[in-house]
Order: sequence, then C-alpha cells, then structure tokens
Amino acid sequence: MKLLRRIRAIPVSYRVPFLVALLMVVISAAISERVLDRLSRTQESFLNGLASTYLDGLSAAVLPAVLREDVWEVFDALDRSATSYAAMSPIETVVTGADGRVLAASDPNRIPSYSAPPPAYADRYGAGVVTIDEDELTGFARRELVYQGQPAGTIHAAFDVSDLFAERREILVTLLVTNTVLAALFALGGFLLVRRMIRPMRILEDHMRAAANGAAEPILSAEFPSREGEAASLFRGYNALVRAERQRADLAMQLAEEEKLASLGRLASGMAHEINNPLGGLFNAIDTLKTHGGTTGVRDTSISLIERGLQGIREVVEAALATYRPQRSAKPLSAADLEDVRLLLRPELRRRRQRLSWAVQWKGEFAIKGGPVRQAVLNLLLNASAASPEGGELGLAASGTGDLLTVSVRDGGPGIPKDLAGILVDPDPGPAVRAGRGLGLWMVRRMVDEVGGTVTIAKNPEGGSTVTLLLPSAREEGKADAA
Amino acid sequence: MHVRPIAPSVSRRKMLGLLAGAAASMSLTDRTASAQDDTFKFGLTPVFLSNDLELLGHLRSYLAERMGGPVELVTRRTYQEITAMLVSGQLQGAWICGYPFVQYRPDLELVATPSWHGKPLYQSYLIVAADRDVEDWHALRGDIHAFSDPDSNSGFLVTRALLAENRLSPSAFFSRTFYTYGHRNVIRAVASGLAQSGSVDGYVWEVMREIEPDLVNRTRIVRRSEWLGFPPVAAPKSLADDVRITRLREALLSMSDDPKSMKVLQLLRLDGFVAAEASLFDTIAAKVEAVRQFG
Repeated sequence: MKLLRRIRAIPVSYRVPFLVALLMVVISAAISERVLDRLSRTQESFLNGLASTYLDGLSAAVLPAVLREDVWEVFDALDRSATSYAAMSPIETVVTGADGRVLAASDPNRIPSYSAPPPAYADRYGAGVVTIDEDELTGFARRELVYQGQPAGTIHAAFDVSDLFAERREILVTLLVTNTVLAALFALGGFLLVRRMIRPMRILEDHMRAAANGAAEPILSAEFPSREGEAASLFRGYNALVRAERQRADLAMQLAEEEKLASLGRLASGMAHEINNPLGGLFNAIDTLKTHGGTTGVRDTSISLIERGLQGIREVVEAALATYRPQRSAKPLSAADLEDVRLLLRPELRRRRQRLSWAVQWKGEFAIKGGPVRQAVLNLLLNASAASPEGGELGLAASGTGDLLTVSVRDGGPGIPKDLAGILVDPDPGPAVRAGRGLGLWMVRRMVDEVGGTVTIAKNPEGGSTVTLLLPSAREEGKADAA
Repeated sequence: MHVRPIAPSVSRRKMLGLLAGAAASMSLTDRTASAQDDTFKFGLTPVFLSNDLELLGHLRSYLAERMGGPVELVTRRTYQEITAMLVSGQLQGAWICGYPFVQYRPDLELVATPSWHGKPLYQSYLIVAADRDVEDWHALRGDIHAFSDPDSNSGFLVTRALLAENRLSPSAFFSRTFYTYGHRNVIRAVASGLAQSGSVDGYVWEVMREIEPDLVNRTRIVRRSEWLGFPPVAAPKSLADDVRITRLREALLSMSDDPKSMKVLQLLRLDGFVAAEASLFDTIAAKVEAVRQFG
C-alpha cells in the first residue's frame, strides 16, 4: 500500500514511461522465457540425435571387440571415434564388459582397464537419451551392448555441452540487450509524449500558483497550444475566470473607496459640527471684545474664550490630518494612533449623545502598520456607535504584550446580524461582501487577514456585543511581514 | 586375452591351427587366385610400417618391374594368418618375423634379410610412459602389459623369454596382458596409459620417433634386448628353386643400387637387404628353447 502510494506520488510524466518500461520488461521476460525454452528443447533433441548416432556408431565398432574382451580393439575404436565425432565433443567414453569391469576408457590414465567403473556412473543417468549436468556443463549417455539377446557390455559416454549453454547464454544476452534497448526507447518515447501532453497543464499550474500568490495573469496567446483541443479550451476557461476575478476585485476596491468616502463624509460632517459649535461662542466673544474691549476683565475673558475655542478646532483638524496623512500610515502603531481615533469619533459621539468608556492600558509602539489598524478600529467604533441607541455607552479596551495586541470594541446594540458577523469570523468572508453589505467590516477583516490575526465576537452579559481583534507583532510573524 | 602356450616345436595342434587358418584364408582368396595364377603374392606382416599406403605402392611397383610380372601385396591383421598362408604355399614370399621363421624353419627358405644401420640386426624394447619413474624391468611387476602379437619376436617372445629366464610367467609377473597386433599400437597403448608397459620392436620405435615424435616421445625405453636377427623375407621351402624366388632375392638384394627402390628404403629407414645365413636367427631359437624349458 505504501509502495502504491509512493508510485502515485510520482509525477505522471515519469510514471507513464516507467509503466511502459515495466510492461516491456514483463513482455520481454515472457518472450525470452519462451524463446529459451524452445531453444533448449531444440538443443536437447539435437544433442539426443547426435548422442544416439555416436553411440550407434561406437557400439557397432566395439561390439565384436567387447565380445572378445579385446582391450586394444575397444580402445582403438574409442580413440578413433574421438576424432571422427568431434562435433559431439566427447569428454570421456568408457566401455565395460559383461562382468561390469572396464574394458577400455578413452583416458586410461583416469579409468584404467580391468578396474571397476567409478561409482558415480550408477546414478548419473536420467530417463532421456542424454542427461545434462548443468553445473558441470556435461551430458551423460549410456548404451547397453546386446549380442544375441544377452548383455555383452555397456558404453558410458560423457559429452561437453558447454557450447549449448554458451549458445543459450548468448541468445539470452542478445534478448536482454535488445529488450532493454526497446524498453528504454519506449520509455523515452512515453516520457516525451506525456511531457508534451501535460505541458499545457504545467502552464496552467504555474499561472494558478502565481494567482494564489496574488498575481493572477491570463495565459498569453503565445503559450496556447498550436492545435485546438482540450488544453486550448481549458486555457480559455482559465482566462475567463481571471478576467471575472479581476472585475470583481476592481469592483470591491471601488466599493471600498466609496465606503471610505462615505465614512469620511460622516466624519467631515461631525468635524464641521465640532468646528461650528465653538464658532458661535467665538463670534460672541469677538462681539464682546468690539463693544467692551476696553474693559480689562472682559477682554481677558473673551480672549481666553477665543483661544480655547480655536484650540478645540485645531485638535479636531490635527486629528483629521493625522488620520489621512499617508506618510503616517506606514509608521508602527502607537497609543497616539488610538488617541487620534478617539478624537475623530468625538463629534459622532456628541451628535448621538453617547459615552465612550476608554480603557487603553498600553503605551509605546507595536510593530504593525499603524494606518490600517487605526482605520479598522475607527470602522468598528463607528459601527458600534451606529448599533448602540442614542445616549448609550460603547467601549474600547486595548492591552498589549510584546508580541500580541488585543483591541476590543464593545457596543450596547441588539447584537451583530449573523451575515455581517460572518464577514469578520467566517473562513470565507465572500457571500456577505458579494451582497454589497458590510464593506467597513470587510476592510477590518482584510487588515486582520493581512497581519495574520484573528477576530472573535462575543455577546456581553449586560447586552450588546464585543468584537475583539488579536493582532500578532510583525517582528514575530514572518507571514505578516511578507504580506 | 590370455597368453597362449608356446609350442616348443611345430606340434600337431599348432599345425592343425595353422592349416585351419590357411583354409580360411584360402576360401577368401580362392577366386582371385584361380583368375590370376601367375600373380606373385607377397605377404606383409605388421613387423614394419605396413599401414603406409605410399610405401606399399612403391614396393609393389618396384617388385613387379624387377620380377617381370604382376605382384600382389597381401596384408593380414595377425602374424599367424600370414605365416599360415606362407607355409601352406598360398603366398610365394612374405616378410615375416624371426620367431615364426624359427618355428617353421624346416618349411621355409630364407630369401633376404633387411639391413639396418649396416647390420641385419635389431632389438626388442620394453617401454613405459615417458613420465614414469622406473629404472629396471623388475619394477614392471603388476603392470597391465601390451604385447604386439603372440607370434612376434620383439613384441612378445623376447619379453616372454626374459621372464622365463627369471623363472617367471607373463600371467604371474604382469597383472594383465593384451595384444595390440601392431608395434605402433603398442606405443599408442603405452603412451595413452591403456598399458603401463609394452614390448615393442626397437626398429619400429626408433623409426617412428622420427615420423611421429609427438606420440613416441610420450614413451621411454626401460630395457633394450640383445641384438637379434632382423625380421627376414622368406619363401616356402617348396619354391626354393623357383625362378621367381631367385628374382625376388635379386630384386631385394639390389634395392640399394636402384634409385627407384631407394625411395622404399628411405621410407623404411633401411640400408638395403643382405643375404644372411639362417644361423642369424639362432639367438631367437635359443629364446624359444628357454621358454620351452621353463614350460
């Protein structure tokens, strides 16, 4: 099973040629087996025929001498047969008489006349004409000499059959080489063919990987396969998908921009209100100065009033400027950023006569881009304000450790609708956004995803909801850094 | 094969055997004999290199030319067959061994004797395999021994007589003996290891050492016998005065003078033929006697 899984893990461009080669090996093994089997049968019958001829000729030559027990004549016949039957490659031939003793052997030094034949002779013969000992590369054959129905003696012969095995080996090697070359060629052909077939898939894969990393590019016409086919239609489908995705992203960006403008509008009207409020007092103070400017007490009081009014206006303007100054949005987040949010929110809170409970126990800086977080916290607070009733209370709490910043926004509303909550917490914030709602929350979610943080939503026991952002430090999170 | 008892002289049994052999030979040669009555039939025994066809061709044409008529060379496997045919008159002449000549001396006429190294003499050798470490013939006890022919002097009688002089018989001294019916075969048997020792014609051994050194050098000599009468050419006594025998004798004796027959002598490594006395073979007769006395 493990092997099977491993094989499946091999890319198809290697797997197919491998399987082709494997198939070739199996086929060639089967063919080789058949060829060698056939060859060994042919060789065997050839050898049997040769051995029979040899033994026939030899028995005719030696039988009279065996009957006379003429040692020399038997030896002479064996000696001459060695040259006349050279094709047989006899190694050793031994003729025994009726009493079982050796009359003569082709090599008398090894097996002397009148001795008993080696005991190995008794069990070296099988059922066939020639019995082959593959270890010794020797064939053995025996012929009983019969005269007038009486056993007269026996011829024992041993032949060198190494030629037959050499021939077999040669054919085996030829088969192996041929089949290996064929298998290699087929495998190479398969490899090239499959590579050619899956090249469009690779192009598609490369584009999809690039798309996953945020750069979805349509496949260029130069990369299209020359012929119309499945691959071309697949490419066209992919390009259509990329174009649709781009339109959707453009639309989303446009909507986000509009949302930003809408919230800016709200803030601007709040700010106008904030500036307008002291203006009445300021004009009154100027009128007082015009009429009673000569009176020292009145003049000082009026100037002080004007000063404080202008100071309030300046604070509001500064906060607005800070929020929308691009060079500041790239700086690390600091407590001052949250203070800016408070300032920006103040007009809206005053308009709705709401109170903000402020619990920021965090000072200094946090290694995360300040701008997006500020915008996100502002969005959450604006939403909380909108959700809470007039004269209600909302809250912001922030606490930070070295590598984690927790920001909670509490409201006194009836709770966040499920689909809007989904924008913040679901793995895919898509459906609600595609419906065109909750763009502010979607921007919060995008910021949280970019820095690799998480969002939780909880119901408060005294009513309302709390949205908590857990933001990791970019120093610790390489992923957030990359993003 | 067992060693046959040697008759001290021509016993009745031996004579019967010879006649039977002669009758058998006659029945085979009857037809040709009647068709070519004037053909001179010359028998050859394996005393020398009778298997050399080139030699036989040269010898036959030389004899035919010198004798003025057709000559037929007759070869047989054993000495006995040739001897029987010669004694019975089926052959007009034959190159036989000294031993049969001594045995059938009253019935045979000595025609000529070959001369080798200047003398009509040769030796018998006891040979063993070249790598065998023996000094003396006594060490051959218990061997499988190869004899050439039971009617051969050098290939049987000499060794038989040697043992008899030492109060031994071949069957007691050797574990086994067999006949190869040819001196060359004795050398082959000893060289191959079929026999551990052999009795061989010294002339054949020496000549073959030049022709087939690879075979002969696989053997070495343990004992040389004394010099003995070289196997002679003989004719039946009944033809002693026949003109053909005279011509045969002249042809043989003048072989060394004729350039054509020199080829034959060169092939045989012989000097020529000489007219020797029958007493040349007395030493062989003495061996027969020694064997007879031992029983």
